Amino acid sequence: MSPVSYRSFDLGAARVAVHSPVPGFQQQLDFIYRDYGEEDPDAFADVRLSLLPGSGLRRWWRQQIVLWSESSQPFDPYPLAHGLPLFEWGGNWLLAQRLNAWLLLHAGVLARGEHALILPAAPGSGKSTLSCALHLAGWRFLSDEFGVIDPDSGEVLPLLKPAALKNQSIEVIRAHPQARLGPVFPGTRKGDVAHFVPDAASIAARHQRARPRLVVFPQYRAGARLRATPVPPADAALRLGLNSFNYRSLGSIGFHSVIRLARSCVACELEYSSLAEAIDYLNALLDDHGER
Amino acid sequence: MASAEHVRALRALLDGLHHAQQLDPACWETVLRLARSTRLHGRLAAAQLGGTDLPAVVERHLCSAARIAAFNRQMLIAELHQLAPLCQGDFPVVLLKGAAYAAQNHAGANGRLVSDVDLLVPRSALRTMEQRLHDAGWRSAPLDPYDERYYRDWSHETPPLRFPGHFLEVDLHHAITPVTARLNFDPAPLIEASEALPDSVFRVLQGEDQLLHACLHCFQDGDLGLRLREVADIDSLLRHHGRADGADATNGFARRLIERATQLGLLRPLWYGLHFAARWFATPQAVTMLAQLPPGAWPAATTRLLMDRLVPLAMLPGNPDLPPPLAARLARQAMLTRYHWQRMPLRLLLPHLARKAILRTRWRGQAQA
Repeated sequence: MSPVSYRSFDLGAARVAVHSPVPGFQQQLDFIYRDYGEEDPDAFADVRLSLLPGSGLRRWWRQQIVLWSESSQPFDPYPLAHGLPLFEWGGNWLLAQRLNAWLLLHAGVLARGEHALILPAAPGSGKSTLSCALHLAGWRFLSDEFGVIDPDSGEVLPLLKPAALKNQSIEVIRAHPQARLGPVFPGTRKGDVAHFVPDAASIAARHQRARPRLVVFPQYRAGARLRATPVPPADAALRLGLNSFNYRSLGSIGFHSVIRLARSCVACELEYSSLAEAIDYLNALLDDHGER
Repeated sequence: MASAEHVRALRALLDGLHHAQQLDPACWETVLRLARSTRLHGRLAAAQLGGTDLPAVVERHLCSAARIAAFNRQMLIAELHQLAPLCQGDFPVVLLKGAAYAAQNHAGANGRLVSDVDLLVPRSALRTMEQRLHDAGWRSAPLDPYDERYYRDWSHETPPLRFPGHFLEVDLHHAITPVTARLNFDPAPLIEASEALPDSVFRVLQGEDQLLHACLHCFQDGDLGLRLREVADIDSLLRHHGRADGADATNGFARRLIERATQLGLLRPLWYGLHFAARWFATPQAVTMLAQLPPGAWPAATTRLLMDRLVPLAMLPGNPDLPPPLAARLARQAMLTRYHWQRMPLRLLLPHLARKAILRTRWRGQAQA
């Protein structure tokens, strides 16, 4: 058996360790996780997985890459060159399975100072694009995918991974001079995907919790004028629960967490087509509601 | 070969279902991963949470597992609650395995995860019960006529049923072994000896039968891959009855169990259950009972050597981040062959396997097209 060596990355609320003999994938990690540094590969990791080359015929012909974790192979193989998207999505799925000490919202999270904005959203709502745009406008990035809520304190913990941008969003964000994106992976199951790397300051602050202040349900609509509709706390709580990875499994803990979150935040729906307008609006909203 | 660290972690998992463990975080990580791969993480959490000296990160993962287990238990209670009105007292409905352990509040049900509710009814009541489930909204996934016939004629259960939106499946059994199996026997005496659950419409198998069923299920089902948790069930049941017996160890459960196994012709599966519970969990009752089993219960020396080599390879988890090594795959294949051999006479088995092989080739062809 070949020796198994891992690279371990600290994402804030969790650590992920990965083993892979595939050189192309290692180079993708080098680029995307450059500013994270590396942890002791033998120290505790919340998720540990392997990305291995496909077996049998697939070793030579239309080569594939396979994700193994805990004696199972939870996903279909990807083409060999698509190691990074498999690692990112597979890692997210595994994290969502086992971080049930916290409420896990499916949301982008950003902060200004100690105040956090939570962007819960369904796929296609423009959550990742808006998150990256806010980050490029000076907000601290806490997460593109997970709103990690500590049920004891009500705080949000960073779980900072590169943001997976899809299709048109890739060019929109790449147009920004400070944006650092990985390679484009064409034709994945979610279309074209490229990974946006958060800035070094956000990565350095990945253990710094924040206090949720705004819950904004974004909805991008081409040509729409900016329109914000307030969401009453009871509706916000329900929608946060529905948008969570583990609300049901947490039972009453999940219920109390979303109630507390909805009570401590201003919630609205935000329809927009211009990112600049949306950013201005959210800056002003936090100016008004930062202290409560 | 398994590393020393792996062996140590596996030992800690087996011991950790009963005794608090003090390990460094790196070893804990391996223990947690082995627990998740064998679906024992809920039980590990139930045994370890609240202990002292748990590293914070380990406590967090145990807490995560405990919450999943609590949710699973809630779903099980809800399913039983919804099934209860279908039990109208005209025939016995017996809970098997996980649902029974939970309804009886066994210590081993604490943190144990279930994926289905297993119900046993007399064969004469099978159609009635099935009809009631259908009328109440439970549905089976559509099956082709061959699979339908496989379940009806050769198996011991109906195709799995699910109520739309529910987490758990319902498996309706009319026997505890496939009707074509070599160990096939009439389940009527089991139902007859079953016991009423207090404040419930359901019944459970009497303790001896429950343990024999666990042994049968553990060693006569599929490729045994990662089935460690079934041995953990045997261990918990033995400890449960051991506690109930107290000092009366010779005259109580052990004697009744051996008598019942002899009567039902299940001494061999019982031997395997006791043997591996003693070996892996050091179950005190298993060690004592093995010595009391009649010589006929023991497998021949060669079989025993072979099973001692193959069963651990098949059942115990290997390195969690690598595909199972060749030895484990071969061991599972051997166990699967044994299972098929015991399940069906050759005149049924060969055509059945041939059909499955052809279908598999076709699926592969489609997947690559």
